[in-house]
Amino acid sequence: MTDLAVQFAGVSKKYPHFTLQDVDLELSTGSIMGFVGANGAGKSTTIRILMGLIHQDSGTVEVLRHTMPAQQAAAKRDIGFVSEDMRLYGALTLAWHMNFIRSIYPQWDQLYAEKLLRRFDLKAEQKIKGLSHGQRVKAALLLALARRPRLLVLDEPTTGLDPVARREVLAELVAVLADEERTIFFSSQNTGDVEQISDQITFIDRGRIIDSANKETFLDRWRRLRLIIPSNAVLPQLPGVIEVGGSARLPVLTVNRFEPAMVAACQDAGVAVQAVDAMTLEEIFIANVQSRREGVIA
Amino acid sequence: MYLQIMEQIKQKVAVGEWAPGEEIPSIRMMAVALRISVITVKRAYLELEREGVIVTQHGKGSIVATDPGLGPRLYDRELEEHLEQVVRIGTLLGLNSKQMVQRLRDTASRLNEAQLRDEEFAKENL
Amino acid sequence: MNTFIVTRLILKDWYLNRALLVAAIVTGLLTLAAVAAARGTTIALILGIIVLVTILIGMGAVIMSSMVNERKQQTLPFVMSLPVSYLEYTTSKVVGSLLIFSVLWLALFLGVIATILTTPWVSHGSIPFVVIMLVEILMSTCLIAAVSITTESQGWTIGVTQIGGLALNAIGFSIVRLPGIGNTIRSHTIQWSRTSILLLLIEFGAIALMIGIAFFIQSRKRDFI
Repeated sequence: MTDLAVQFAGVSKKYPHFTLQDVDLELSTGSIMGFVGANGAGKSTTIRILMGLIHQDSGTVEVLRHTMPAQQAAAKRDIGFVSEDMRLYGALTLAWHMNFIRSIYPQWDQLYAEKLLRRFDLKAEQKIKGLSHGQRVKAALLLALARRPRLLVLDEPTTGLDPVARREVLAELVAVLADEERTIFFSSQNTGDVEQISDQITFIDRGRIIDSANKETFLDRWRRLRLIIPSNAVLPQLPGVIEVGGSARLPVLTVNRFEPAMVAACQDAGVAVQAVDAMTLEEIFIANVQSRREGVIA
Repeated sequence: MYLQIMEQIKQKVAVGEWAPGEEIPSIRMMAVALRISVITVKRAYLELEREGVIVTQHGKGSIVATDPGLGPRLYDRELEEHLEQVVRIGTLLGLNSKQMVQRLRDTASRLNEAQLRDEEFAKENL
Repeated sequence: MNTFIVTRLILKDWYLNRALLVAAIVTGLLTLAAVAAARGTTIALILGIIVLVTILIGMGAVIMSSMVNERKQQTLPFVMSLPVSYLEYTTSKVVGSLLIFSVLWLALFLGVIATILTTPWVSHGSIPFVVIMLVEILMSTCLIAAVSITTESQGWTIGVTQIGGLALNAIGFSIVRLPGIGNTIRSHTIQWSRTSILLLLIEFGAIALMIGIAFFIQSRKRDFI
């Protein structure tokens, strides 16, 4: 039985204009989960429920074996949280924040903090209000990373970062996982980042989890098939066809349960398989969302 | 992505950079070094183990397989994959096996001639 | 209750508002000195005391709203990411802001009493009344704190501050008419009538009640962000 760092069961939360419904989530210790969704899909709400900052209407939430939100103070001792809308105290310096965090958390690693200062190109003596957006994000990440928390919960950690900064942040996040007792949960609109570093991926749309699996499974199962249908042939019925594009004679099928046998099935029916293309996570996400919105997948 | 990792490791083994019996980085270490997810590396290692390139010892990490015929075996497998590809494409083009074999012969002799020419050129100019 | 984290948060708030706190104390002391110096005439004294009271209330409101405005500054997620429960967070805000205000209040309280005692032509009998009024100021500031913390809205805080100021005058006038108070003001000695003691008890009771209600309301909140 794998150790679960985070477990959601049937979590729902209702707002006047938005409802989070029936969220089930499982994150094993020692892995990274990327949480992908459009704006307003419910990523931030889910993350806040995870942190105990919002109380769910129904369902149970367990984080690091603590029940949320009741035991949030204890849980937060081992969680590092950075969200996009989080601000530090503008009139104070980064050094003050570092000392403040250090005074609260005994696990603070000063040497690592200094290494991160250099790597992220930040000056401790600078006031927060003098930092650019990217620098502020890096500062907040530094404060969370230097404590070496068992769980990192990050809401859009790379949004608004320049390419160099993004690369460094991703490298630091992956480095966290060198310790197999540590776990990361992060949400992002940048599917490239999610594809690169995630072990598990969860898609959310309009308040519902629409898919959750390990990354390799996603990348294996989704394919685009480019077919050529000669005049005397008929396209066979294939399972898991999400979308049919292209033209009648040159269709492009998007499938979410690809088996090599499908190629043989097509060829047996006299249909030529011109190409079987892998799909990027972005393409998979878009196809998934679009087809659900159109009601193709239940 | 995991295929690229497999390629890289296979090359290192075939070239001899990683000797048989030698320890290779753990899955997590490799993931950190390459800045990619653990699961991708894990998959690559799994496939490599299936192919007999590496051996994973429980709790101790992975080593290059100590099979002496490893290098040639890797290439043998690759040859097999390429041959399958040739047959598939040939069939699409409507060739029968005799025609495919002929094409193979033609290609082989063409490459052979090119190589001979290169050697001549090298001899004349050194 | 994790007193460690509550202390850290209080110290953090005090540090953040250190300029304001110093200004408040300095202003208070200056006003006090001015009142003491003005005791030449009754009118000057009364004016001085009115200014003192206004400043006290004003300071109270400013302290409250700046200590409690984490949401406005968007630093609330940062604070709530710390190992703190919402109850502990509320405690740090209530205790932190009232403690500071109490220091200021106490200093001015002692100053006013001392001024009355050392000014020859002001009757000492006025002291119970003055005490009741000063505690009333404390009470209205507690109300401001409670409103500030539970509503987290500057609008409400300012509104309550205005009402508190007006109420102070109204309450002051009506209390003076009470038999237990009015007829002892002019005496030379300090007399604590039953009315005055009752009024004090009511005021302290109201303070405890307001703080209690503030905590109760906070504990019912389900969404902190």
